Amino acid sequence: MKGHVDLLLLAALRREPLHGYAIVEHVREASHGALGLAEGTVYPALHRLERTGLLASSWLTANGRRRRVYELTARGRAKLASEQSDWKTFSRAVEAVLA
Amino acid sequence: MIDAYLDDLGRELGAVGIRGRLRRRILAEAEDHLRSGPEALERFGSAQLVANRFAAELGARASRRAAVGAFAALAFAGAVYAVAFVGASFAGVPDPDTFPVAAVLAFAAIVLAPQVAFVAGALALVRTLRRREQELPSAELRVINRRTGVALASGLVTMGALALFANELRSELAGWWVASTLTGAAVASVLLVLASVPAGRAAVLRPQVAGAAGDLFDDLGLPRIDPWRFAGLVALGVGLLVWIAGAIQGDPLDAAVRAAAEALACLSGFAVLGRYLGLRG
Repeated sequence: MKGHVDLLLLAALRREPLHGYAIVEHVREASHGALGLAEGTVYPALHRLERTGLLASSWLTANGRRRRVYELTARGRAKLASEQSDWKTFSRAVEAVLA
Repeated sequence: MIDAYLDDLGRELGAVGIRGRLRRRILAEAEDHLRSGPEALERFGSAQLVANRFAAELGARASRRAAVGAFAALAFAGAVYAVAFVGASFAGVPDPDTFPVAAVLAFAAIVLAPQVAFVAGALALVRTLRRREQELPSAELRVINRRTGVALASGLVTMGALALFANELRSELAGWWVASTLTGAAVASVLLVLASVPAGRAAVLRPQVAGAAGDLFDDLGLPRIDPWRFAGLVALGVGLLVWIAGAIQGDPLDAAVRAAAEALACLSGFAVLGRYLGLRG
């Protein structure tokens, strides 16, 4: 799981900008509860992805509360596409071995 | 509960060396997260774990950047040193027996400090190039930070000694050499001080990540032998090189004295700094 956190975070942001809690919820719901990210440790990963230019973030105020919203950059989209392709190749190979 | 957790997290962030704007941002994001759902606090993880994950993510990158920045500043200082060293042959350096005491001390530092700076800076760079993971064990970070710090300090001592030497002998040395050496040393010192800012930032980060630091043999990819035997072989090699260079210039006896002093300096450096810089276990 640890090695795939970056891919999951990038994928969660594919459609729209989200704040940290919404990203965690998205991953949990999309995986029907199978993938539960350790919530507090998502933020160090988000900060790293931002430092490396794959994500951008900004403060928004919603219901009187400030929240940091993350979105994919162009580099982030390219990285996601490449990681998705690698993942599909890998999972097809594993399925072929297991079949 | 949430307020108590945030207090804890703030303390833990401070304990691992995360302060200022980044700490405020982390706390603000954590607060928003924790107030977003009823189970968020339970699922967030302990304050210590979260703070440590941030420090671990930041530590490797900060140490790597500091080592690279230090090496770049040291490269400039090395160029200043080389130009001064070559230029001294044409600047009319007086007989060393006539040097004032301050110039003698400066000369000793000019000979020894750059060797420490080069070895420590190069080994810091080698370690960061060898360990390119997102996170590094705390022990590895400590070694990289120490090497970077020693390299920068030795570089500053070298530049200070060079400036002192030029100033002490300014009436006897060519004016162009004194001026260019003082200017070069001043610029290099500024760069070294600037490079020490990220090095200081890296040194305050204290993540707890398990794992051992490697040693010199891991860095150089050499077969492991007794570290003292290795240090002896290096000292012998350096001494031989110094002797050959001196003998070619026509004074084998003086060269032998300098070679022995150089070899002894190598071994002394290994004895004093070897463990601190992660050269031996």
